Parts: sequence; structure tokens; C-alpha cells
Amino acid sequence: MSATPAPLVVVAPLPRRVLAHVFFRSLFLQASWNRRGMQNLGFGYAIEPALRALYPDPEQRELALRRHLGFFNCHPYMAAAILGGAIHHEERVAAGLEPAGGPQEYKQTLQGPLAAIGDGFFWTALRPFFGALGAVGVLAVGLPAVVAMVLVYNVVHVTLRVALFRAGYQRGDALVPLLARLSLPVVADRLRTASAALAGVAAGMLMFRGTAAAGPVAGVVAALLAVVAYAALAKGARLLPTLYLSAAAGAGAAVLVARLQGSR
Amino acid sequence: MGYVILGLLAGLAAIERKGFLQAMLSRPIVLGPVTGWALGDAAGGLLLGPVLELLWLGAVNLGAAVPAHEALGTAAVVGGAVLASRQMGTPVTLEIALLAMAVAVPAALLGRYGERRAEAWNERILTRAEAQLLRHRLRAAARCNLYGLVISFLVSALVAPAAAALAALLIPALLRAVPGLAMPLRVGFFGAGAAACAAAAKALRARAAPLSFFGAAAGTAVVGLVGVLAGRAM
Repeated sequence: MSATPAPLVVVAPLPRRVLAHVFFRSLFLQASWNRRGMQNLGFGYAIEPALRALYPDPEQRELALRRHLGFFNCHPYMAAAILGGAIHHEERVAAGLEPAGGPQEYKQTLQGPLAAIGDGFFWTALRPFFGALGAVGVLAVGLPAVVAMVLVYNVVHVTLRVALFRAGYQRGDALVPLLARLSLPVVADRLRTASAALAGVAAGMLMFRGTAAAGPVAGVVAALLAVVAYAALAKGARLLPTLYLSAAAGAGAAVLVARLQGSR
Repeated sequence: MGYVILGLLAGLAAIERKGFLQAMLSRPIVLGPVTGWALGDAAGGLLLGPVLELLWLGAVNLGAAVPAHEALGTAAVVGGAVLASRQMGTPVTLEIALLAMAVAVPAALLGRYGERRAEAWNERILTRAEAQLLRHRLRAAARCNLYGLVISFLVSALVAPAAAALAALLIPALLRAVPGLAMPLRVGFFGAGAAACAAAAKALRARAAPLSFFGAAAGTAVVGLVGVLAGRAM
């Protein structure tokens, strides 16, 4: 007795045009960020063209869009991977290969860990690094540094965002080991240390700029206040009072030095 | 006209910051020079951009936390500085830059409050999208997402020019009334700049941040001094 082989169901990939449309819309993920569903409306907006292509039946399409309007929150760059993966799962749902809850389960499982990775790498390491690099660059060479910084950051940013979307779409659940191999937390730690050094370079450059623009007192003030402000912030001082007091201390020191020089 | 340009730039920056793209175009280091250039003083934007970038290096949107609105703050500070300097018939000077920071930096906190209100308002947009879905209008429901951009735009487009107008009103009056303030304020600008550098290093929360920050600052100072001394000896 020979077993009848199960009918082979082929999942037809979505046209590239549709995927490109979804990716473009993913850039608006946080347009209506709200407290109830967070990025849910953005996710629904982004995936809607894919659902239109996958579900010709309006009832099925509506059910699919409804499940993507559930709570969702992730880092906006990393969300591209989940969006790609959700389409991967929707293709399988449309082909009858997995239950309708599959895409939602996938999103719920990955959104927290990917948000943590994205926040830790992009928001608290890569972007501050480029910000500090841009600041030092402007102090050193002016406007060309801004142009170069924006170009390089966005080559990295857009490449990663597209790659994450493709990886999610092509690999689905196999996305996680791929991300683990990138060792983003280790890279993030190095970038943070480098950014702190760049902030130090900026402080050193301000000492010299101050001396050149307003005399030695400005250089000394910058050096002292870099130390005092860091110590105050480390002890929990708030940002704006620290800024105002530093400015006032600098101005006060200048008045004091001028009076001392005048009295001689 | 300057206020209209400033409002447009601030509104677009607010959209780029959260609702669309997030490509660093709304960060102070980019928005500062762009605002200065749009208002006719790119150098003024380049003077303030690095200080504001370092000041708000830690202003990041983590989860549901709402940080200070650095884009709105930058537009307000640079706009205020350029518009005040225009009234005084000079480019943005160090003293004008410091006073613009003093007057307009709090606009970033007002922006944070506005963002929180916008997030609450966006729940109404979600309710509207759900109502469209009940009427089986799927595309209209999805498109509701874009309405949130309007609120972000409006908050910044209104607050940034208002804060800049306040700076443009107060700064020329103060500097004309007390001309002797100029020199101390110039020194104060570098005090504020140093505090911004410290704030950047502190915001990074890296274990090695203090060592890196102070080591690099000292290293730069030594290299600079050697350069100055070598220049004098030649």
C-alpha cells in the first residue's frame, strides 16, 4: 500500500513593487503613535498593500487588517524586520499553511526583544556616535562635516533597515539567530565609549575656541565647568539648571576677572 | 517671512523626528545649520548646532518615554538667535547665541508637553480608523495613520516661531540696554558649551565614559597647547 503524498502548496512571493510599497510605508510607522495601541496604526498602514495583494476576498482582507491593528511597539528601524516577517507569515496564512493567529504570535514574540536591541544599538549608541562625530567635525571643519555625517549615517541606516526588512521577509522565524550573530550590544558599548571620547574632544576644542574668542578666562572656564558639570550631572543634577548655572558661572567669572584686572 | 520659514522648518523637522524617516535630519547638528541657512545666517546655525547636539545627545525616544523635543528647541534657539541678530544688524555673535539659548531652550520642554498631548489626541485617530474598519473601508482606515503627522507639525510650527519671537524681542533690548554684558556673555557661552559636552558624555551611560571623556578632553588640550607653543616658536 503506497501512501498518497500530500499536495504541495507553493507560497507565491509578493511582487517586488508591493514589497517596496510596504517598505516605504514602514517609514511612517510612528506617524500616529498613541498610548492605546502605540505603533499599531502605523503597522496596519504599512502592511495594508501586502494584505491587498494576498487576500482578494474582502472579508479575509479585513480580518487580516484587524489582526494587525492590535498593540504593537518596537524600535522603528527594527520594526522593518518584524514587518517583513509578518508578511512572510501572512503569505503562509493566505496559502492555508498556518493558522490566522501566526502573524500576531510572531509579532508579539519579537517586538520586545527587537525593541531592546534597536533602542540599545541605534538610539543610545549609533546615533549619538554620529551626533558627537558631527559636533566635533563642525568645530574642526564646519559645514562639510555635517554633510558627510548625514550621508554616512544614512548609508548605514537605510542599508540596515532594508536588510532587516528583507531578512524578516525571507527568513521569518529564522531571523533571530541572524541578529544574534551581529553582536550589536558589543558594538554598541564600543560606540558609546567612543562617543564619550568625542564629547571630550569637543570640550577640549571649546577650551581653545574660547581662549581665541574671549581670552584665557574662557578657556579656563570651559575646562573647569566640563569637570563640575559632569560631577553635578553624575550626582543627579537636572540638565537645564546645569546648563543655566554653567553659563552664569562663566559670565560671573568673566566679570570677576575684569574687576580684578581693573583694580590693579 | 522669517517666522513662516521657521515654522515650516520646525514643523517638518518634528515630522522627521518621529513620524517619518528618522534619518537624523531633525537632530540639532543638522537642523541648526539648515535653520541658520534658511534664515540667512548659516554660520550662526553652525555656531549653535554642535552645542545643542551635545546638550541633547541623550534625548532619545525609548519605548513610551517622551524626551525633550530637541528639534523644536533647536529651531527656536537658532531662529531666535538669527532673528535677534538681524534686528541688531550683525551676524549671530557668541553673546546673542547664549541669550537665545537662555530664552528658547525651554521650548524643548514645551514641545515634550505638546508631544504627550499629541499622543493622547492620536487615540482619537485610532478610534476613527476603527470606525472606518467597521464600515469596511480598509484603505481609509489605514490612511488614518497619516493624520497624526498634522498634529506633530502644528505643535512645532507654532511653538518654535513664538519662542524665537520672544528671543528676538528680549535679546536686542537687553544688549542695547547693558552693552557691558557682551564680554561676560561670550565667556558664558563657552561655560554652557562645556556643560553640554559633559551632558553628552553623561547621557551615554557607558562604564568607560568618564575616563574617555576626561582623557580625550585633556589629550585635546595638550595637543592644542603643543600646537600653539610650536606655532610661537617658529
